[in-house]
Amino acid sequence: MQALYIIIGVVIAFAVYAMGVYNLLQTIKTRIKASIQEIGNQLKRQASLIPNLAESVKGYLKHEKGIFDSLTSARKAVEAAAGSNDAGKISKAMDQMSALIPKLQVLVEDNPEIKGDSIVSNLMNELRDTADKLMYARRTLIDLTADFNVKIVTFPSNLVAGIFGFMAEKGLDMPLSGDATSVSLDETKDVKVKL
Amino acid sequence: MQNVFELVDANKRKSSLVVAGFIVFVALVSWVFAVAYGYDLSFVGIAFIFSGLVSYVSFYNSDKIILSLSGARPADRQKDFNFYTVAQNLSMAARIPMPKLYVIDDTALNAFATGRDPQHAVVVATTGLLTALNRTELEGVVAHEFSHIQNYDIRLMSLVTVMVGMITLLADMFLRMSRFGGRRSRDTDNQLGTLLFVVGIILALLSPFIAGLIKLAISRRREFLADASGAKLTRYPEGLARALEKISADQEPLEAANKATAHLYIANPLKNHHDSIGWFAGMFNTHPPVAERIAALRSR
Repeated sequence: MQALYIIIGVVIAFAVYAMGVYNLLQTIKTRIKASIQEIGNQLKRQASLIPNLAESVKGYLKHEKGIFDSLTSARKAVEAAAGSNDAGKISKAMDQMSALIPKLQVLVEDNPEIKGDSIVSNLMNELRDTADKLMYARRTLIDLTADFNVKIVTFPSNLVAGIFGFMAEKGLDMPLSGDATSVSLDETKDVKVKL
Repeated sequence: MQNVFELVDANKRKSSLVVAGFIVFVALVSWVFAVAYGYDLSFVGIAFIFSGLVSYVSFYNSDKIILSLSGARPADRQKDFNFYTVAQNLSMAARIPMPKLYVIDDTALNAFATGRDPQHAVVVATTGLLTALNRTELEGVVAHEFSHIQNYDIRLMSLVTVMVGMITLLADMFLRMSRFGGRRSRDTDNQLGTLLFVVGIILALLSPFIAGLIKLAISRRREFLADASGAKLTRYPEGLARALEKISADQEPLEAANKATAHLYIANPLKNHHDSIGWFAGMFNTHPPVAERIAALRSR
């Protein structure tokens, strides 16, 4: 009789624990979805912000027409991706967009006569800020995914995750081979800056 | 080592302790007052209600009181672009609502956070800080303040500020009052004797109480911890380390700070104050040495 009580007690204790873990995992999962949407949100902000800013400095940069065209196409890609909530598509659109930011920065550096202008320094500030915002949006996704995946693989929460069939979240898409995860000989040498 | 949740609990517990201590203290003082002057004991009751009311008001309004004490204006996205946007980005990273931002027009380099919880938080920086630091360094400082918000340090620190301020104010008022009273009744030795007795008791009660309050609020670990979790937020401890270097190189005391608000700031605002206020700050050692904090940040 006493053994029965003990078993019942253990079962109840486990059920309570399992409930806690289940709710935690579901919460993080929802937050991960929200953080992906947040990245899309920041991209949309960037997509509508940068062309407007670029428009305001266009007068100074009439001869650099190419970059404005690629800006327009990047913006269209972001519009399409942000609606889809698909982390893969979003990150592709993001790459297209963020590839443009250094180009814009170089453009400003190349034209020192416009650097001191307040419109241009405003553009530079906004560029830095929008890059930061995207970085922090991605950071949130990375952190949440890490929390989630740690819970799934560590004991004893992995038992609960197994019962309810939780799978590891992918998080931020990164190539797991090639340049991103290896260091070439050139990269180990000291960097020399020529001015 | 405490984890974050225990830390938040400890801060909330200490906050309640501060409020309870304040109410008991006021009741005690009013009792001494009542006995010495032969007032009715209902006076104690009135003081009790008064202190309860004060605690209630200061819990919900400590941020506003402190802001008005330090003479800050709201930050503007146009004018304080880096401050505003950095706070926006970090609140996203820390997953807390964006705090209200204020700026003190002072060339000294300093910053603090106040409020009662992450939903009602305020971050204040001086214009000196905003102009002297670049964006990366400012990010470090704001992240440090955000850690104080997340850990509920702000609730405890703000309550202590308001309570200490209130008691100092009451004590000053009382001392002045009794001095006037003393002059008028100089011929009656007996009354003067009672008066001195009361003043003595009050002072004896007051100093350890204020000392205890301040000790509750300051802890070297609190600052080190905020540095560490701030660095975790930006993933760039060097930013805060450089900011601290710049802040410690600045020799100017902050005009708006006083002994009640000193412990709120990221770096001691009372340095080079060669008067009783500076002595006070030195005695309590409200801030750990900046050099130690920078070393801790760089050791990671």
